[in-house]
Amino acid sequence: MSRVIEVPETLDHKGFEQLVAGLNRSAEIGGERLVFNARHVRWTSPYGLIGLLAVGRVARDRTGLAPRIEAPDSRDVRRYWDRMDFWHVAHQVYDLEPVSTRAHGASDALLEITAIQSHHDVHAVVERVRERAAAILENRLHYPKPSVIHFSVMLSEVCQNIIEHAEADGWVCAQTYHYRERLGRDVLMLAVGDVGIGFEGSLAAEHARRHGEGWSAAAALEAALLHGESRFRDPGRGQGLQAIRRQVGKWDGMLGIRSGNAMIALVPEWETIPPLQRGLEGFPGAQILVVMPARPEGEGRR
Amino acid sequence: MTAQRGAANLPEIAVARLYKEDLVTRHTGRAVRLSIEGLVSEAEGQSLTVLDFRDVNVIDFSCADEIVAKLMLRTMAPATLGREHFFLFRGIGDHHLDPVESALRRRGLVVPAETPGGEPFLIGDVEPQALRVWEVLCRDGRGCAEALAPRLGMDEGDCGRLLRTMHDRRLIRRDGKDYLSLFHTFTQAGGASRASRRADGEETHAGRQ
Repeated sequence: MSRVIEVPETLDHKGFEQLVAGLNRSAEIGGERLVFNARHVRWTSPYGLIGLLAVGRVARDRTGLAPRIEAPDSRDVRRYWDRMDFWHVAHQVYDLEPVSTRAHGASDALLEITAIQSHHDVHAVVERVRERAAAILENRLHYPKPSVIHFSVMLSEVCQNIIEHAEADGWVCAQTYHYRERLGRDVLMLAVGDVGIGFEGSLAAEHARRHGEGWSAAAALEAALLHGESRFRDPGRGQGLQAIRRQVGKWDGMLGIRSGNAMIALVPEWETIPPLQRGLEGFPGAQILVVMPARPEGEGRR
Repeated sequence: MTAQRGAANLPEIAVARLYKEDLVTRHTGRAVRLSIEGLVSEAEGQSLTVLDFRDVNVIDFSCADEIVAKLMLRTMAPATLGREHFFLFRGIGDHHLDPVESALRRRGLVVPAETPGGEPFLIGDVEPQALRVWEVLCRDGRGCAEALAPRLGMDEGDCGRLLRTMHDRRLIRRDGKDYLSLFHTFTQAGGASRASRRADGEETHAGRQ
């Protein structure tokens, strides 16, 4: 027996919410293999791809069976998934035929989907993005030269969040787009996700008592992002997210962190996402989205 | 890393060049710090360790906390058996500054540093009056409260208190009633001409030469 979950046509941060809702409805039944039907997917963001891996992992954990996935009909979407190395990583999550070699040639992604399991993986992604980030940030987004270093630091910190706090594996990827709908400009999207204990679980031992009944996923996200609190008493901890928040703000970017049933966001003028959402569908771990817009033409590289 | 016992009143000098291009992750920072702490622990009496960042392309916030902030935190413990350890951070460029400064400020620490062009400056949490005294001491090399206070238009007692606090924070050395700039000490020891050895966490048992 199997049960089908429809993957939304637009698989971005909003599509991810639909996917989680579908998963939560279906996984309640239990004992059945889940099949994610992605045949109708027309557009996918890095956050959507990471989200698809995350729901697959949770489906496996909840049912005890590796889920299956139906590939998109759209050739463009399939190509994009190939370029992002989705199938190689999905093999560790979904019940798939073995994938032996990379089917695509040189990828134009800033960072293909990469599993983060140890500090070695963090070093590897920082090293891997160096040249591509320089080309993309300077030439396509018109950012000043030091932004490559700032991006590397952000990438490192956001990936370490998985190792230090999630107590589970996670994934990262980054890609550039022309964000016609909102900005009419190119953007760089960085997505990171895990299915670990989440912010509420990570911070609970140190902070839950102080918040009393008000302790929740939203409270934990506010504590971490707005107040730099961490699961450790050490005052040197908790700097990473604060630094990311400051840097994304300088770039007029968007930062969204979803954990448990809440999402907190640093919202620029061009974005309409609420700064704090409560009562979302519950989902393990943390999912982070960073959107960095190109500088407007004529602003120059300072 | 090289080290040499100096002439009378000079501390043991060591230069550690950080050869890792990417100083990222707390794990890496811890390994680098342990390597440096191992070398410093071998010093008897006073020591001055110069950490050279010129080859470091990226340092993240976690690594800066593990290396710079925690090294200074442990160094500031009260001297035992006459042991006092000092650190100088060389080759600190704009791209290192935000993570290093953020890590230090969160712990209320400050370190003496030098830009890649050789300009001395302090990174971290320091009161403006102390900074003035430190800058004059850097230019002069050495001095005492009695001599410095009138030049700075400061009460001698206040100047003495600032000097003592800066010594406790390992920003300057003390020699009797005089205080010495760490840059002056390093130059006196001919430190800049010394060869250096890697301190990247991969040679945790490296000894002094």
